[in-house]
Amino acid sequence: MTEKLNMILGGAQGSGLETTIQILSTAFASSGNGFLADREYYSNIKGRHSYAHAKISSIDIPRSIDSKIDLLGCMDAETLFTHFDDIVEGGYLIYDASTGEKTQDSIKSIENPLRERLEERFEEIGIEGTVSSVVEHLKEENDVKVIELDYPSILEDIQKEFDISSSHASRYVSSILIGAVSGLMGLDKEEIKKGIERKFEGKEKIAEQNMFLVKKVSEMVEKEHGSPLKLEGSGIDEDELLMVNGNEITGMGKITGGMRFQSYYPITPAADESFFIEQHASFENGDSVIVLQTEDELAAITSCIGAALTGTRSATATSGPGFDLMVEGLGWAGINEVPIVITYYQRGGPSTGQPTRGSQDDLMNALYSSHGNFARIVLVSGDHEEAFIDAIKAFNLAEKFQTPVIHLMDKFLANFVKTIPLPEINKVEIDRGKLFEGEDYKRFEDGPISDRAFLGSEVMWYTGSEHDVEGNVSEDPMNRIKMHEKRMDKLEIAHEELDDKVIYFGPEDPENLIVGWGSVKGVVLDAMEEMDEDFGYLHFRCFSPFPFEKVSSHLEESKTVIAVEHSYSPRVSEVVSLNTGYQIEKEVVKFTGRPIYRDELIDSLKNVIEGSSREVLKHGP
Amino acid sequence: MARDYGTENWIDWCPGCGDFGIVSSVYRAFSELEIQKERTVVVSGIGCSGKMPHFIDVSGVHTLHGRAIPFATGIKMANPKLEVIVNGGDGDLLGIGAGHFVALGRRNLDILVMMHDNRVYGLTKGQASPTLPRDTKTKALNTPSIQDAIEPLALALTSGYTHVARSFAMDSDHLKEAIKDGIEHEGAAFLNILQPCVTYNDIHTSEYFNERIEKLDDWDPQDVDLTGAINKSKITDEIPLGLFYKDTETPTFEERIAGQLPDYLNKTPAEQDIEENGKTLLDKKGFKSKFEGNLIKKEK
Repeated sequence: MTEKLNMILGGAQGSGLETTIQILSTAFASSGNGFLADREYYSNIKGRHSYAHAKISSIDIPRSIDSKIDLLGCMDAETLFTHFDDIVEGGYLIYDASTGEKTQDSIKSIENPLRERLEERFEEIGIEGTVSSVVEHLKEENDVKVIELDYPSILEDIQKEFDISSSHASRYVSSILIGAVSGLMGLDKEEIKKGIERKFEGKEKIAEQNMFLVKKVSEMVEKEHGSPLKLEGSGIDEDELLMVNGNEITGMGKITGGMRFQSYYPITPAADESFFIEQHASFENGDSVIVLQTEDELAAITSCIGAALTGTRSATATSGPGFDLMVEGLGWAGINEVPIVITYYQRGGPSTGQPTRGSQDDLMNALYSSHGNFARIVLVSGDHEEAFIDAIKAFNLAEKFQTPVIHLMDKFLANFVKTIPLPEINKVEIDRGKLFEGEDYKRFEDGPISDRAFLGSEVMWYTGSEHDVEGNVSEDPMNRIKMHEKRMDKLEIAHEELDDKVIYFGPEDPENLIVGWGSVKGVVLDAMEEMDEDFGYLHFRCFSPFPFEKVSSHLEESKTVIAVEHSYSPRVSEVVSLNTGYQIEKEVVKFTGRPIYRDELIDSLKNVIEGSSREVLKHGP
Repeated sequence: MARDYGTENWIDWCPGCGDFGIVSSVYRAFSELEIQKERTVVVSGIGCSGKMPHFIDVSGVHTLHGRAIPFATGIKMANPKLEVIVNGGDGDLLGIGAGHFVALGRRNLDILVMMHDNRVYGLTKGQASPTLPRDTKTKALNTPSIQDAIEPLALALTSGYTHVARSFAMDSDHLKEAIKDGIEHEGAAFLNILQPCVTYNDIHTSEYFNERIEKLDDWDPQDVDLTGAINKSKITDEIPLGLFYKDTETPTFEERIAGQLPDYLNKTPAEQDIEENGKTLLDKKGFKSKFEGNLIKKEK
């Protein structure tokens, strides 16, 4: 009985793949399945290879994906060349039979290093390298079941059926894939229909034509192959689910948490969050969230600070290159004790680096950027559920401790699409911290945490220079000590008051302890579950203030400690060492920009137990 | 009366600095307009001009070099009911902050930008600012400047400011009126204030300006196109002072936002309640309806 399925659907960017994914994922979820998908794409608008790498489960909500897939659905030949080796023995392939004679040489979008690897691979397995030869190899050597569909002739049929132009019909390739996948998986066509109608709302003809095609292809596939990939678990418990990516769930958190101003400068992979918030800017009671696209990130953070000074919950969202520009504003917010939230989606660096690929390399940047020293809170989210909670918590902590909060996310989370249970909205709390009531207001009086009044209600001064309790510039040495201590002491208070800065998963006193944070959470927990060896996982939720005591005690009790991270060398090891003096000797890292897969993590952890001190993961095109 | 708007802080500009003329004109303008102290925010950048908020008894935000405009933009957008004034220097607004200067014009947000223009960076000992004409060697420079000067009014006009004027720090009556006009304008207003730097600019002195200044006479700033205003504002052998251009037709940024979010000006972001007894105002039902597009119902 099949309970879970790993699949990749791929095609050229801008060719309708997004539509395929949206419609199928909605159908999976409404049929009672959990869904999780990584989205991989180039920094490109149209033409380069893009894919969704998904796990669908009929028994739970998936937390990680596997490098090996049960089903590969190809919109084009490049998808086949890029992913054919990842299909499991006995797996399934959907491809366009009309591309049979194609070789990789004719596909200009394939990058040279992949081309070379493919040539070596074809030589190794002794095939000439056409699409047909790859398919034959998969059938014979790997027992892969192949769903051969002649896409152009199917499109020709629909062109005749509805009397539409061939260029119009060519936009329907996405529905061929939807039809084939839904046939193999035995999906309810009504669910697909709903998804299509939602996608093409107001375009009834297009919806009808797409649905016609889906049904036709699905019937063809079912007739020949049946529905061998039908998921047969009992279905997950929830009656209602959210289908969200990390940008969306963070945006939902911000709106729920009372954010009313967000500034941003367009950057991947953060901009979609602002776009989503803008789409949901107005409330029924007339309230609204202002989303401002600024001229640069310098203006994004400084306008955010300006809005925060008026008492408006304000945030900005960016990625590494944008954050670098924001640092001067961060310092100003630090010395002026302004509650702002910076949502920081890491991507591969340095410089432009890998704009559309994931990374966890910026922990130090979030913790230590800016000259001078001030209290800052750095929250890190490990999955969509945590991102929602943190997006709200960030504002509460910012206002409570009157300090900037950096909410660290990454590209994986930003773009991973996941079904999650509805957040517990009735448990959401809003804490605006100490507010001023009275007369003769002085902004920085009675520290460490002063009463806050908003611009518009009292007269007050702010300055990026060292200042006295009134906010006027002062270079007096004793005043410097007083004010600097006031600001730094807030971190101590936050340390005392903040629970759950680190969470531990696993048995008491495990043989092996994994230390990690952010988007390694799901894959680490899944790997641990699969392995016979004794593992625990120490998961950071907050790096500043740092959870000294709890981390130290876990580290001291464990024999083998392994850092797992999407970076060149684990930043978490550096930060742990800085704060506790403990040296984490072993590490599993991945810095290709692709996510860590469950199966490769299991293999690497086995190697570590056998003595390896550094494992570099490489799977995923 | 005017003293009502001063603070107790000792003003540490050089004796004879044009900034004294500017701050005293601000006091007079505020006084005549009966400006509400807690409803007014002066936002400054860095440099001698940046210190000014500490000398004025209204709220003051002394920001980063070049960033006064975006700080002010956030304040004004979040609470459009506040009177927001940017007070910056020539290097501040046209050097390190030039991008923001242009952006404010594009938005036509209701903010007055007062630019202290002494053509040098005073606080760092007299380097050339973006308004110092080419081939000028002030006393702190090793060699004459080889960069061309920006014409601030032409830049403001082409950026979209809807109220563009020039005044002189040492002519307090003229400057006071220019500040009042700028505050009362609805939209982005730019006021270029020429001033001496008595310590570092030995060329563009009070005498230099006094000899060349000509006040606009018989000029209707609302009956002129951009080209006409640019030509009129140009500094030649004469330095014209006055209001060169005024456009009351172009919608303000606040109006543009209200076009998309109709209740924006009644329920400004700063005035909205976001909690009740520590709970979010968005309940489960509200959450589900707001994010309906992401909601998936399981079919039985």
